[in-house]
Amino acid sequence: MLHKPTRRGLLQGAAGAGLLAALPDGLIRSAFAEDAALNVFGPQPPDPAPPGAAQFAIDLFDKWKADNKASVEYDLVAWPQLHDRMATAFASGSAPWDVVYMSGWVPEFATSLRPFADKLPASLVDDMPPTSFATTTWDGQVYGAVFTLSLLTLFYNTEHLAEAGLDGPPKTWDDLLRYTKELTRDGRSGWVANYGDPAGIGGTASQWMCFLQQAGGKMYGEDGMPVFDSDAGVDAMQMMVDLMDAGTDPGSISYVGINDATNVLLAGRASMQMNWPFMWTAAQDPEQSQIVGKLGGAILPAGPAGSASIDGTDAWTIPNSSKNPEVAQSLIEFYLDPVVQKQQAIDTGWLPIRLSTLADADVQKALPNAKVVLEQASHPYDSFVTPDYNEVTQALGTEVQKALQKAKTPAEAIADASELVTAIVKRRS
Amino acid sequence: MRAFQTYERRRRSAGAAFVAPALAVLALILAYPILDSIWLALQRVTLKAGQVERTWVGAENFHRLFNDETALRAIFNTAYFSIAEVVLVVGIGLGVALLLNNAMGRSGFFRVVLVIPWAIAPVANAVLWKWILNANYGVLNGVLTSLGLIEHNQVWLGTPTMALNVLLLVDVWKSIPFVALLMLAGLQQVPKVLYRAAYMDGAGSFQTFVHITLPSIKTAIAIAVVLQTIWSLRVFDLIFVLTRGGPADATVLLNFLAYRVTFNFLDLGYGAAIANLVFAATFILAIIYIWLLKPRRRVAAS
Amino acid sequence: MSFAARRTGLATRLGVLLGLGVFLVWSLAPVVWLVLSSFLTQRALIAQPPDLAPASFTLQNFVAVMQSAASLGHGMLNSFIVASFSTALALALGAPAAYALARLSLPRANVISFMILATQMLPGIAIAIPLFIVITRLGLIDNVWTLGLVYLSFNLPIVIWILRGFFLGIPQGLERAAAVDGAGPVRTFRYIILPISIPPLAAAAVFAFIEAWNEFFFALILTRKSAETVPLVVAQFAGQYQTVFGQMMAAALISVAPVILLAIIFKDQIVRGFADGMMKG
Repeated sequence: MLHKPTRRGLLQGAAGAGLLAALPDGLIRSAFAEDAALNVFGPQPPDPAPPGAAQFAIDLFDKWKADNKASVEYDLVAWPQLHDRMATAFASGSAPWDVVYMSGWVPEFATSLRPFADKLPASLVDDMPPTSFATTTWDGQVYGAVFTLSLLTLFYNTEHLAEAGLDGPPKTWDDLLRYTKELTRDGRSGWVANYGDPAGIGGTASQWMCFLQQAGGKMYGEDGMPVFDSDAGVDAMQMMVDLMDAGTDPGSISYVGINDATNVLLAGRASMQMNWPFMWTAAQDPEQSQIVGKLGGAILPAGPAGSASIDGTDAWTIPNSSKNPEVAQSLIEFYLDPVVQKQQAIDTGWLPIRLSTLADADVQKALPNAKVVLEQASHPYDSFVTPDYNEVTQALGTEVQKALQKAKTPAEAIADASELVTAIVKRRS
Repeated sequence: MRAFQTYERRRRSAGAAFVAPALAVLALILAYPILDSIWLALQRVTLKAGQVERTWVGAENFHRLFNDETALRAIFNTAYFSIAEVVLVVGIGLGVALLLNNAMGRSGFFRVVLVIPWAIAPVANAVLWKWILNANYGVLNGVLTSLGLIEHNQVWLGTPTMALNVLLLVDVWKSIPFVALLMLAGLQQVPKVLYRAAYMDGAGSFQTFVHITLPSIKTAIAIAVVLQTIWSLRVFDLIFVLTRGGPADATVLLNFLAYRVTFNFLDLGYGAAIANLVFAATFILAIIYIWLLKPRRRVAAS
Repeated sequence: MSFAARRTGLATRLGVLLGLGVFLVWSLAPVVWLVLSSFLTQRALIAQPPDLAPASFTLQNFVAVMQSAASLGHGMLNSFIVASFSTALALALGAPAAYALARLSLPRANVISFMILATQMLPGIAIAIPLFIVITRLGLIDNVWTLGLVYLSFNLPIVIWILRGFFLGIPQGLERAAAVDGAGPVRTFRYIILPISIPPLAAAAVFAFIEAWNEFFFALILTRKSAETVPLVVAQFAGQYQTVFGQMMAAALISVAPVILLAIIFKDQIVRGFADGMMKG
């Protein structure tokens, strides 16, 4: 990436050079030692990337680097490869980074991370939803700060709903089933989902976790053992099966990524979907969407226990191996600066995590969906991340797939999943 | 006699000098990783305090493997996939090579076309097929519908059997070029005089194929079978992009499982055990194939 | 020629023609879609059936690929260095080794050959982490030459196997004749064996180059920005929330060009065997 030299930068450089010339040798060395070279590991845009990696807040970023005498090098890989590269580095005991992006992997790598988030200024922490630290906390230590509020919410095609004479978004499970049935016509599907990949945040298992919380259930008890083999667990599973029958796009079982399902909604061949906030910007782009201006958003329909979602948990962490943890923390604080957060929202479509920025009029105007996500955040949105989250969701999601394909009844699938997850949790301890 | 001994000795020492650099390079790169992987398979590996901790557990990982429903399914899937793939790829590859060796197929154009499916970066290839096969907006459904061959959109990767076979076909598509190329090179080794002689003897084209072509390219076929076996046991990209092993573990092959366990679950010991199972299976299969396809010159001569 | 013979000839010709037609459609249909996709907007691509109206066609995908932070040119240069280096070494080390294992009466040549092949039987996934540890300790991470060497670990054994098979098939008479003329093994190999082995050498070279050009997993783990190869760059167009399919196909199309060029250069070598030359008389 090319940066135009700014006037201030040039002046500072010149002043610095003059100063260096006037200093004795030993001092020059210590002057250099203060310069921190940070290496930041994260995803490529359009996935949530920091300033300088994505095109926003570039001037502020340059200023931060100058003020902190720090250089920042980005090590970016495509999102699907993030975890592999990270796993290799951590499993070899050599992570060459100062700041690392995480998505639900904090408990997994907790022993390699620095619990820096306790030291974040209160003014920042108080401006973030307290629950946003749930996915970055393990064993009472807080290892990361989420930088974008990313919760699953409901998206729907306003035109389809109007055609079917449906007034407003579905508010309850019964509404959702009825809507789906009525919207499934003219070669369209009422509902579309990505059930192809069982594991990970956004995978089949985590979608079921939304329904689980809507039914009033939870994954683990106080002792850390699974408690989801309950009425709520089975109800949640039954709801997904009913939704399938009511009119879920039959391809859903084969869509391994959220974008496979998103495309169906964007093409106008499905009417409703559970998706992440980024969906909003994508739907307004005429290059890729046939539903520009026809997208509505709402919180997820309420089950017996009300609405609930899961946390997409895009967070910044600092590995133990960082040689400049203080500067790294300062960089993360910069990423969470109110002005940077605002530009992140407006220029990239990724919502801020700061409550004050979410409430900002400009942000709400640019991203009408911000309000919906904020409202969703007032309901439960636990992602139930643990060190073996990948393994748990793999096992659980596979059982959910079997129920969706009617190879097992919901009760059988949940009972079998509970047995598998129990074995996984026991193996850990 | 003495001259012959010197000749043999010279050949042998030249041979040693010819092989040594290649062996040295391979040992340099692979010796440690291979030995370490075998060692890992006998250990339980955990990440603690940023350090990798290894505990000796003996055969526990293998014991777990043979009691793991997913692993057993993967073994079954892999066996089916690799046998079907070897048969299809070698069969079709031979057919393509014969076509391209025919007077009408000898244009260089066909040889360039042959290489194309193989040359596309596997990541892009897998994403290309993912879009072609998409159940909702995939072009395959579009083409088949407009040709009147199907009535409704098919979910090509939706049911266990269909998904595994569709993956198989895509991998066959990608694998044929190399095998056909190998066979084509093999066909070049068949001396033309043999064909001329067969023609003079009034042999039909089928007889010529069975008695002249096939025996002459037996080595090429053997190499193709052995290499394709190795590769079909290592299929990965396609599964990673198209199905992630789903739906419901229907398309989990052993190598993909080894990846999942190693990189997603960070269970390095168990992952190494699965990888070593792939190693053992390939090793045994390769020995069987080599033995079956060994050119039995002495038998033929006597 | 009798009437019956001519009729069989015609049937064969028709069969071959049909076969070639099927071969072309089978090989190229997906590729045609790749090319079309690279010129279409995402909006047109997710329509069913795909929207092929003139208005849907665009050069935007190529422009975006060129302008994107993902540096395709840099990646192609790296891939070219890695693939050429690895291919050249694989042939230089592999051809003599294959010849020795096939013809130079080495003790236990079959066992050695099989051990060489056996190195390919352990999935790359299993050796990735130990390899990463060694290379990190040596400070050789993110280096094109390291990657080229690592690729030898799969290219060299396969090249040896391809060539050994062909060398086994060469009639013994050729070498005996050379020996009678006083040529030693080195000269025999250089002046008799290599010239008649052009098709397998070309096949092996094409193999090694393509495999190195396209290798993904080791490149992902062993490189960062400066040694990043083409498949990693192409992969960047498939993200978590969005895959701009047209851009990815545009990148794939550009990245495949050098390989096609290589195939065009080598296309004649693949069929210029000793069947035409040496053995004719």
